[in-house]
Amino acid sequence: MNKDLDKVRNIGISAHIDSGKTTLTERILYYTQRIHAIHEVRGKDGVGATMDSMELEKERGITIQSAATYCSWKDIDVNIIDTPGHVDFTVEVERALRVLDGAVLILCSVGGVQSQSITVDRQMTRYNVPRIAFINKCDRTGANPERVVGQLRDKLNLNAVMIQLPIGLESELEGMVDLVTMKAIYFDGDQGDDIRYDEIPDNLKDDAEEKREELLDAVSMFSEELMEAMLEEEEIPVELIQAAIRKGTLDLELAPVMIGSAYKNKGVQPLLDAVEMYLPCPTDVENTALDLDNDEEENKVSNNPDDPLVALAFKLEDGRYGQLTYVRTYQGTLKKGETIYNTRTGKKVKVGRLVRMHSNEMEEIEEAGSGDIVGLFGVDCASGDTFCDSKINWSMSSMHVPAPVISLAITPIDNKAQDNMSKALNRFSKEDPTFKTFVDHETSETIISGMGELHLEVYIERMKREYKAEVEVGAPRVAYREAITQHADFNYTHKKQTGGSGQFGRVGGYMEPLEEEEYEFVDQIVGGVIPREYIPSCDKGFQASMEKGMLIGAPITGVRCLINDGSYHAVDSSDMAFQQAAKGAFKEGYKKAGPVIMEPIMKVAVEGPSEFQGAIMGSLNQRRGMIVGTSEEGSYTVVEADMPLSEMFGYSTTLRSLTQGKAEFTMEFSTYKQVPKSVSEELVKEYEESRKNG
Amino acid sequence: MGYEPLVKKNPLRVLNLAGNDKKMGLIMARAGLGKTALLVQIALDSILRGKRVVHISIGENLEKTKLWYDDMLEIILQECSVAKPHELIDMVQRHRMIMSFKESAFNRARLEERLNDLILQDIFKPDCVVIDGFDFTNMDHENLEDINSLMESLRLQTWFSATSHREDDRVSPSGVPAPCHELDDLFETVVLLKSEQEHVQLEIIRHNSDVCSDDSYHLILDPATMMVKKDD
Repeated sequence: MNKDLDKVRNIGISAHIDSGKTTLTERILYYTQRIHAIHEVRGKDGVGATMDSMELEKERGITIQSAATYCSWKDIDVNIIDTPGHVDFTVEVERALRVLDGAVLILCSVGGVQSQSITVDRQMTRYNVPRIAFINKCDRTGANPERVVGQLRDKLNLNAVMIQLPIGLESELEGMVDLVTMKAIYFDGDQGDDIRYDEIPDNLKDDAEEKREELLDAVSMFSEELMEAMLEEEEIPVELIQAAIRKGTLDLELAPVMIGSAYKNKGVQPLLDAVEMYLPCPTDVENTALDLDNDEEENKVSNNPDDPLVALAFKLEDGRYGQLTYVRTYQGTLKKGETIYNTRTGKKVKVGRLVRMHSNEMEEIEEAGSGDIVGLFGVDCASGDTFCDSKINWSMSSMHVPAPVISLAITPIDNKAQDNMSKALNRFSKEDPTFKTFVDHETSETIISGMGELHLEVYIERMKREYKAEVEVGAPRVAYREAITQHADFNYTHKKQTGGSGQFGRVGGYMEPLEEEEYEFVDQIVGGVIPREYIPSCDKGFQASMEKGMLIGAPITGVRCLINDGSYHAVDSSDMAFQQAAKGAFKEGYKKAGPVIMEPIMKVAVEGPSEFQGAIMGSLNQRRGMIVGTSEEGSYTVVEADMPLSEMFGYSTTLRSLTQGKAEFTMEFSTYKQVPKSVSEELVKEYEESRKNG
Repeated sequence: MGYEPLVKKNPLRVLNLAGNDKKMGLIMARAGLGKTALLVQIALDSILRGKRVVHISIGENLEKTKLWYDDMLEIILQECSVAKPHELIDMVQRHRMIMSFKESAFNRARLEERLNDLILQDIFKPDCVVIDGFDFTNMDHENLEDINSLMESLRLQTWFSATSHREDDRVSPSGVPAPCHELDDLFETVVLLKSEQEHVQLEIIRHNSDVCSDDSYHLILDPATMMVKKDD
């Protein structure tokens, strides 16, 4: 590994499903000599692409986990994080983005910017990730890179500028013109290994000149020198243009666009050159950590390998040799045999094995400098933990983790499956912060919850394949919540006299709706009407009541409980008595506080040919959706709507049959909203019946 | 609805323009003077009175159009607070539908098809349509008449915005600048925005199909908010 941080690139490859991300990664690994043969995603040779290391991914042809892999191109070291393209795995994408310095956004030259690309790009903007775009599949019928550039500008608001021009398109794609050096690039040999630079073909010369002018116009604003050279109509040095493109890209004000076809082995090597030239090295990016000893004060990480260590665990995997933890170091050096300290748990751990990952294969190393991405074995931690050496106590800022919105009951088929299931669940919930699991005490069922149907499906498959845990799966359930809508007073006395010492406690006060926060407890007791030691008991009692609402047994959120009155008994009052009194008071207040049921609302984008717009809107409208708007661009259209999650089960089938399979949709959690009265009544009835029956 | 006090500063409310008649209105100005802001004001005014509005945005994306509403609503809420702002925001969302089109994707046939999609399937029944970014340069009298009769048949009040250019000094007899100088008779109301030193002046040059030359049809607006200026 290079000590020189200028020569390190930590990049992500992210894109819409099926735009050829895995194929491209595979080609990169081939050209950088990490692998010696090329396999396809759905490989006929039964081997499968190297980055899709999980069996399931191979079978479905999609990439689920973001495996990190290392390669070197010319004199730079590149760590590639392969990121999933499906929206249900957004947390994985987000976690990958957290540790990246730059990214390649892959787009299909036919499909263009689709709704998932928009979601991914929004996340990249959130994490300030500079990116270059690669328009892939230019060999496909209907390829139109210029249209895709237009969409990058319109839909993603990127200042997208082509730095290459295709030579031929569709089946006639031969290579490309580099608009910076003004040379044609061809890829000779069976696997496109031999790059041949040549003169620009005559028929493209005018076009290339024109596009170069556009490029220079766009990048000149990032370099005064370049602007001067242009004004004086001098010959413009290539390095000057490259420097301007780099500056614009790093400032997130420019997105250079490249083209090619990974499948046909065209354009991959120039893309690697562009990664080196235009994407940032670790020192180009500012990262901050929170000082836990100093009121979470923000500190810039130094990238200096001699400073105290700060490293972030961003990904866990269960491997053959135990837990494999992917970490990125931000400063200091991670050395084999040294002791590091987990700032979340306060535990010290010894670095046993340190490896550099190449998908399934690994290479043992002695140390990893700052800015590097490596794997650790035998370190017990959760995803998102920060490691330091004992000199400092920093934490990398917490990652944005959405709450799960859908749940399923799972029942193991036999005892063996039971054991394996709990192992698997333990592992998954450590790996993935959006995957939660718990046992419902009333039904004794194991419940798993996550971000969408596919998200949970994938885990059930993994349980079966990796842990041999066969489970029966219940119908998906939406994670409803309960909330109150108005102020309500309570004044409740808990009294029990059953021989021996009794129980006594009275709690008075009110509850009211709380926006933003889940729960707040306010103590306004004066004159010791409730003794100090029993105040926490009241808090505890309220919190226990919040776990299960009285309408449908869903957790209650958004309540402020304030106590300002009460009484006690010198002998009969106890912690337990006040907890009971608070529970009674909560129940009393809750009934008067206008309780309602809240449901998760998803931000849905359906994309398809314009002729189906009416049908798409109709289908969303029938499902209680609120259509936010539509955008039409030529022959296709996107409909955006806020939809209740409960109405979205099976929507993909409906949509397919409505649109002859030509439309697709993405879905992302947006907010919780009150359910309409008719639905609420239905839910309450169902809940009451299920209680009666069981 | 109970939100009426919120719109009392709306420039059109002060002039008592936004009537219930299903006629076409036009806002004209040079680029950057606040046509979109004023259209959004008109839309919000209708929405706050319980009406439904389709906002057609030509050449601008959905996200940016939504932002316009968020911003204008925020300004209104700053001027006049309400007890439950999220209910108001929710109400506005339910009474508004944004349709964005790429320039080349918009035409009369498409407009009719889209409005019918909404109305016939009972998805959204608009009372008012605002059309931002419509290209009047290639629009002749007959075609605009055609759109007018479409909107009349659907019983929709329609507001357009149009950009005038400094270099084009053609003007209709009633004072409507190019590119709408030959179309002005089709509009019930024509509003002109002009830039003065520190404010924007709103001039009504046509109202109820009459030419207005009276000074009482002039208003001073704050360019930051497009609200009527307090001092004046």
